[in-house]
Amino acid sequence: MVVSVAMGTAIATSLITLSLDIKGKVSRELRAFGANITIEPKVEGFADIAGQKRYLREKDIIKAKTIFWRHNILGIAPFLEEKAKISFQDRKKDVTIVGTWFEKELPLPGEKTTFRAGVSTVSPWWDIKGRTPDKSSVVLGVSLAEELGIKQGEEVLLDGKPYVVSGILSTGGKEDEQVFLDLDVAQELKGLEGAVSRVLVSALTTPMDDFAYKDPATMSRKEYEKWYCTGYVTSIAKQLEEVFKGSRAKPIWHVAETEGNVLERLSILVYLLTAASLLAAALSMSTTMAASLLRRLDEIGLMKSIGADSFKISIIFLSEAFIIGCVGGLVGYAISVGVVKFIGLKVFGAVLEERVLLLPVALVSALLIAALGSLLPIRRALRVKPAVVLKEAR
Amino acid sequence: MEFISVKDVVKEYETAVALRGVDMDVEKGRWVSIVGPSGSGKSTLLNIIGGLDSPTKGSVFIDGVDLGSLSEDAMARFRRENIGFVFQQSHLVPYLTSVENVMLAQYFHSITDEAEAVEALNRVGLGHRLHHRPSQLSGGEQQRVCIARALINSPKILLADEPTGNLDRENTRLILELLKKLHSEEHFTIILVTHDPFVSKWAERLLTMEDGRIIKDEPLYC
Ligand SMILES: Nc1ncnc2c1ncn2[C@@H]1O[C@H](COP(=O)(O)OP(=O)(O)O)[C@@H](O)[C@H]1O
Ligand SMILES: [Mg+2]
Repeated sequence: MVVSVAMGTAIATSLITLSLDIKGKVSRELRAFGANITIEPKVEGFADIAGQKRYLREKDIIKAKTIFWRHNILGIAPFLEEKAKISFQDRKKDVTIVGTWFEKELPLPGEKTTFRAGVSTVSPWWDIKGRTPDKSSVVLGVSLAEELGIKQGEEVLLDGKPYVVSGILSTGGKEDEQVFLDLDVAQELKGLEGAVSRVLVSALTTPMDDFAYKDPATMSRKEYEKWYCTGYVTSIAKQLEEVFKGSRAKPIWHVAETEGNVLERLSILVYLLTAASLLAAALSMSTTMAASLLRRLDEIGLMKSIGADSFKISIIFLSEAFIIGCVGGLVGYAISVGVVKFIGLKVFGAVLEERVLLLPVALVSALLIAALGSLLPIRRALRVKPAVVLKEAR
Repeated sequence: MEFISVKDVVKEYETAVALRGVDMDVEKGRWVSIVGPSGSGKSTLLNIIGGLDSPTKGSVFIDGVDLGSLSEDAMARFRRENIGFVFQQSHLVPYLTSVENVMLAQYFHSITDEAEAVEALNRVGLGHRLHHRPSQLSGGEQQRVCIARALINSPKILLADEPTGNLDRENTRLILELLKKLHSEEHFTIILVTHDPFVSKWAERLLTMEDGRIIKDEPLYC
């Protein structure tokens, strides 16, 4: 009996521990889906009508690490997109050139550490054959390179300036048609020092709930504060908007929503599994309890013959179940600590936090198992007629 | 109506008929023996009088209360107020000591009182066996624990089913003398089932059963 309670408790407690930690871990893993917020220049009024281009400031990027949710900013990369002419031998073409950081360590203001930024932090799936571009080289999208018959190591002209092709990029998206340069190089080529046309951010977020979908403009002061200080993708976007001058930050909804759904389903799954394991343990407790009560029917008959009512007999057996529950709970907790460690290492390659807080959780679930598991058998055993068991010789 | 009144009680089991219409009255404070061959229905009758079993037909009144009208829990309450049992097998809880077995009956009755339990064991001559488990006691000693337990809540009736069935002559005499002493002090009613003539003659009245009926009812003068 102790064993079944212990197993049930171990499973339930492990699952609860996992569910507490798993969300964080999984949402971090899900960040491999890439950026979930884009920041672009705010376009309004005459500028819009005139089609005049607007830019963000490169020096604002590091400010993303100063917002309230700065620790949730896991990746960031600037992009400067411009038109240019590429020529290779006798072939010429109008293309989009993109200046960006592929990987760049940014010194954090007021701290000794640096923060890794760049394309690899927001679009980890980008696949470059060759090297990332430096001051005198570019990376070509794979479709473009094929169209113009260009190989790695050959030289191309961009707006008349020579660059070596250091690598070929394939992403399966529009990038395959584009030319990638270091951000500084692109800015110089286009005479747009310090300018950026788009910034992508990868942020850890809290799944959107009903409250999160409320329009911040209609919120009361209190609500707004709560919204602002919760890590919704929208509130993080809002905070980014505040630090990027003249910007508009928007969640990339399909990414944000998919993530939210995955996390939501994950927790439902964990809860279901927890409930199932508690139930299974209670069932197994109940069979063992029933078997043990069967062996002790004469004890029950005896108790009845000396005047015990069902209530007092139940109390005796329930308190036994209680002790079993406590012991099983402790053992189960100990097991779950091991299981959680093991799963943490196997699945996430990291030790999940141990939570002493879960000891009460373990005890409560164990007692629940013990109580649920013994109520029915006790009730059944109580129906025994004392005369029957007492007459049979032992 | 007499103190104990059994009216036309029939008890049928699926495979056998144990009682075929039993009528009997017992006055308060009497010591009655029931004898008869094995299988004649003695135990069944005793269990029905004690409310451990219910009759197929007929009724049992104790002190004016119709046992058939009591719910199971009400029956348990009635039993612990009024009836003490002693069986052939000693039926003690094996993992409890003598004094704890007696206290169990106190617990079911109301509250436990260790001093009182010790006193009860002293009276049956087991003051030196208070903290022994049943397996560490002789058969006679176990039966004396059962008697102490049966009498701890001062019942009006003591029902004993072959209480000396497993004992030698010497222990049997000890138990009977003990019962006689307690009976003369406390005047509870005794119904004692036995097939041993040596045991049955300690009673004031002798009922003989055969095949589910009472066939003889005679007074005894000792
Ligand atoms: N639980 C039972 N189920 C079926 N038959 C029973 C049961 N208890 C007793 N009997 C039958 O009832 C009859 C009377 O039994 P019992 O009262 O134990 O007799 P005694 O105590 O006089 O030996 C016997 O024939 C016995 O086989
Ligand atoms: Mg019998």
